[in-house]
Amino acid sequence: MAIHQEARAPRATRQAARSPIRSPDPDHRPDEHTFQLLVDAVVDYAIYLISPDGRVQSWNRGAERIKGYRADQIIGQPISVFYTPEDAAAGRPAHNLRAAIEHGHFTEQAWRVRKDGTRFWADIVLTPLRDEQGALTGFAKVTRDLTERRASEEHERQLAVEREARSAAEGALRARERFLSIASHELRTPVASLQLAIDAILIRRERGTLDTQRLDDLLHRMERATARMRTLLGELLDVSRLSDGERNLEVEQVELAELVGDVADRFAEVGRPGRIATRLEPVAIDVDASRIDQVVCNLIENALKYSSDADTVDITLSKTDDGAVIEVTDAGRGLDMGGVDLFQPFGRGANVNDTQGMGLGLFIAHQIVHRHGGTITAANRATGAGATFRVFLPQRPTPQSAG
Amino acid sequence: MTGRGRILVVDDDATLRETLAEILSEDGFEVRGARNGQEALEQLEEWRADLVVLDLMMPVMDADAFSAAQQKAGRAIPMLIVSAAPHLLEAADRLGAVGVVAKPFRIHELREQVTRGLGLRQSSDSPE
Repeated sequence: MAIHQEARAPRATRQAARSPIRSPDPDHRPDEHTFQLLVDAVVDYAIYLISPDGRVQSWNRGAERIKGYRADQIIGQPISVFYTPEDAAAGRPAHNLRAAIEHGHFTEQAWRVRKDGTRFWADIVLTPLRDEQGALTGFAKVTRDLTERRASEEHERQLAVEREARSAAEGALRARERFLSIASHELRTPVASLQLAIDAILIRRERGTLDTQRLDDLLHRMERATARMRTLLGELLDVSRLSDGERNLEVEQVELAELVGDVADRFAEVGRPGRIATRLEPVAIDVDASRIDQVVCNLIENALKYSSDADTVDITLSKTDDGAVIEVTDAGRGLDMGGVDLFQPFGRGANVNDTQGMGLGLFIAHQIVHRHGGTITAANRATGAGATFRVFLPQRPTPQSAG
Repeated sequence: MTGRGRILVVDDDATLRETLAEILSEDGFEVRGARNGQEALEQLEEWRADLVVLDLMMPVMDADAFSAAQQKAGRAIPMLIVSAAPHLLEAADRLGAVGVVAKPFRIHELREQVTRGLGLRQSSDSPE
């Protein structure tokens, strides 16, 4: 900056020559007096000279305005008084001078301190000055007060953060509305079936055509409708439990092989033995056992849903350097997503028509795994029919973004 | 009560489709069922219906695709929308349906709409 000023000085002096301040120098080079007047008139910048040992040597009006010292109060004082106590203690004043010498100049934006102790955000340029022999004669220092600009930038940033938060909240609200709308649609359908069966019974009773076989038949349909409603309500309950205990995983050390084995055994007890094959490596890991139980349960249910009675669902558990991997592989029809995200609420593959449940099981599994800081992915098997769902769980839950 | 008209019930929910078909047959209509728009189109190739009772959201072929295919085939069979979806009136407008019934419903609501859709007089309000 001081270099630029030296370069600009002749032009400035020509202007000065037309003013009442006359330069006595015949070739219009700036004499010290004219230059001092010029510098002194600048109010937006603190411009002053520093001695080689770091003391204030000159002072202008800008310096007085920005820093609050009069010339007689500050000349001869070390520049460390302008620094914050932390920066002064860290040796920043001397460091900055050395950096200016080393690189030919030094610039930074940092907090500085006014006479009254208040801080301002300073944009500084520090330039070493040398005589004709190249010996250091001191430093030129130009400082600008950017506190207001910084405050407005801070304000802008704050606004941007708020905008982002608002748009995230609106997104969550839209997702919630969509969820409720689909959930209500899914529930209306079995209620409609149930209502219609009741109406059919009433009509026949009125007409006297309600024989035992008709009644049995209609009761059976009503039972089918309520079974579907039970499934749907169970899924909705799982989702609401998910948001209830949102931030509270009850983490304990668990032998994952036992947990996964227990879930597989439960399915076998329900009366479909031989359809689930397990290969489980011992892994002690920190998880919320009841939630991971649900993840494994949902994955097996999903695999069975898309398998024929003759197919086997394979479950493997393996230890990794930083956690555990559970893989559930079926021999079903495989994945054909057609752009649908399986792990979103109501996400179902394009090749899924015969739906049981609402399509919330994988969403719930995803949410639980995500909350543990793990990942869940799905892919078709490389050879043969079917798909593999792969869950990675870290050794202990790690913080992750909400959602 | 025979020969009141032919109705095709298109719904992917088997319980609802079967029960509704039964009730309407006993009301004197000739009724057939289809699980989706595609099956409905196939039925209509050989069996001319007077009214299609149509669910909106179905796998394979939904109501919009079915309606478009009908137009392409040059068939103009009145459609009655019976659905659990929201914004039913908008959908009815879009498809040019003769009426809408929101699921769940009581059978008399549906009967009224069927009667109207077929251009029949309701037995209860025809004293002459």
